[in-house]
Amino acid sequence: MKFEKITLEKKYHDAVEHWRRHYLKDYDSLIENWDRYFPQDEAFCLCAKLELGTPGTVSVGEHAGEKKRVKPDELTEEEAKHLLAIIRAQASTEFGSIQQHAGTLERAQDDEDRFWVLRVMAEELRHGYQMFHLLLSQDWSRASGGVKGETMVEEILSMQTGSHVLDAFNLEYDSFVDNIVFAALIDRVGKYQLTMQKVCAYKPMADSMPPMLREEAFHLAAGVIPMRRWARRAAEGDPLITMSMIQKSVNKWFPRGLEMFGDERGGDSNLRMGFKDLKNREAQDQYIEEVRRMVRDINSRFVRARFPEYLPEKAEQVLVELERSRGSHRGVAFDELLRLPDRRFFRRKGEPAFAMVGVDGETFSDAREYLRHLAKHLPESYMASRDLRNYGDVLKRIVSGELSVAEGVMKMPKLKRVGGTCPCSRSVRWVMEEPSSGNSDAAAPR
Amino acid sequence: MPELSTPLRIRPLDELDIGSIVRIDERVGGTYRPDYWEGRVMFYLRRDPQASQVAVSDGKVVGFMLADVRAGEFGLEEPSGWIERFGIDPDYRGRDIGRALFQAIAAHFRAMGVAKIRTLAIQSDAVSGFLTKLGFAPAPLVALEMMVPADREQR
Repeated sequence: MKFEKITLEKKYHDAVEHWRRHYLKDYDSLIENWDRYFPQDEAFCLCAKLELGTPGTVSVGEHAGEKKRVKPDELTEEEAKHLLAIIRAQASTEFGSIQQHAGTLERAQDDEDRFWVLRVMAEELRHGYQMFHLLLSQDWSRASGGVKGETMVEEILSMQTGSHVLDAFNLEYDSFVDNIVFAALIDRVGKYQLTMQKVCAYKPMADSMPPMLREEAFHLAAGVIPMRRWARRAAEGDPLITMSMIQKSVNKWFPRGLEMFGDERGGDSNLRMGFKDLKNREAQDQYIEEVRRMVRDINSRFVRARFPEYLPEKAEQVLVELERSRGSHRGVAFDELLRLPDRRFFRRKGEPAFAMVGVDGETFSDAREYLRHLAKHLPESYMASRDLRNYGDVLKRIVSGELSVAEGVMKMPKLKRVGGTCPCSRSVRWVMEEPSSGNSDAAAPR
Repeated sequence: MPELSTPLRIRPLDELDIGSIVRIDERVGGTYRPDYWEGRVMFYLRRDPQASQVAVSDGKVVGFMLADVRAGEFGLEEPSGWIERFGIDPDYRGRDIGRALFQAIAAHFRAMGVAKIRTLAIQSDAVSGFLTKLGFAPAPLVALEMMVPADREQR
């Protein structure tokens, strides 16, 4: 478990620092308070880390048994383009999540929660920096159509919430509940992607994964532990946090997390090229089971806190009975517990895109009725967002037959960089993309 | 003592193991301490998530061992592997689960370049018997303690 630390060329390092001053304003406070919240931990380092001693042989796909590639030119053009898309998407998500966290960070009720999220943000910055190292340490021009690493870095640093590659990173947070639920759900997808990429046939990518995964373990805990504590407070009757608030945030992020795996029917290319070791649906299935375990764990915490006199076996029995009967037990209704939404709920990409499936798997045929269902199950402030309005408009057009589902997926607006280099320049604008040939399994990392 | 219907799996600790660790601790010690374990698990996860291990049988966590690598404490400059806490579900004792957890942790310590593994245990505790079987021996370092002196004694 030894790794090499690498600092980017000064101009790039300075560009990341510049970006950090815009979007991670509390960075200095994090460093000043590091020993208070993270005693005995190694100091934060804005650097790339490459694990040493990892396997040198490709383990999956059509190159299995061959030596791992160390330069883009050793990949076929198709492979290099595919991998470059993954690296760019990954870099975008790392910077994107910091922008999202920043919006509601100050609303944390608890200082410890706030500093945990701050550390998550700093480590996401390091992960973005890691991806920049991959982009800048080799010549990708053959795969990028002549676009230089410098330009790719500039483009990523210019993105703002709304312009990132994956949808989960284009949604604003509505409250600090989103900071925590995002860490528990979306960073968990990140863990899956990083784990799958540990086998990557491009060795610098594979070597980047273990140090990132070690940090990701903290990110997941920074989501799950506050959720466990909130469940306890909710059970004790604290009016400042309720299970319903957490549930609505779960309903908001879980569908986007599922979509980050890419279309359920895809993933063959990643496997064939030796970049990942699971297809999209396989990875998504495992993720769903893991989130189910998380929900169970939090519900268990809730029931024990509500009935402190119960022995663990009795509490477990109550939980099983509530799940079975969907009834209530001594004033605790099933609806107070967290539950996993149906995997087809509120989807706008992948196999069930725009399928109008409710949280419990019920189906709808009327768009307005479905939107009313969403309004009941999503955070109120999110319902008033531009994202939901656009979703609703496209949904209605699909239901009326004006658009096909495939056209609807493409009609979701995105923000695109239209010029300028510094985020101060507000260089990103709303644009409607024209449909283009998409590769359903090209890039769904993080 | 239930038979293991599936092979024992040793894997690194993760944040979803807190509930299981709380359950094992409660079964062993009789006290429900979720807050304590949330703090300890976070500590180990943020320091080195590969160092601490859990044992899984029949889809259930039946044992855990929390560990990390530290250097510079108590004048010990070289990195030492420290084992702080471990617990085995009473229904699953006597199956060498503790040894299997220890071996996984020792392998991680080796990979980290650690030469010595350290721990502290209450001498009369049965735990020290388990540790001796693993190969631990009394160290020249002696654990000392005292009550904080009252104000007037210090003057």
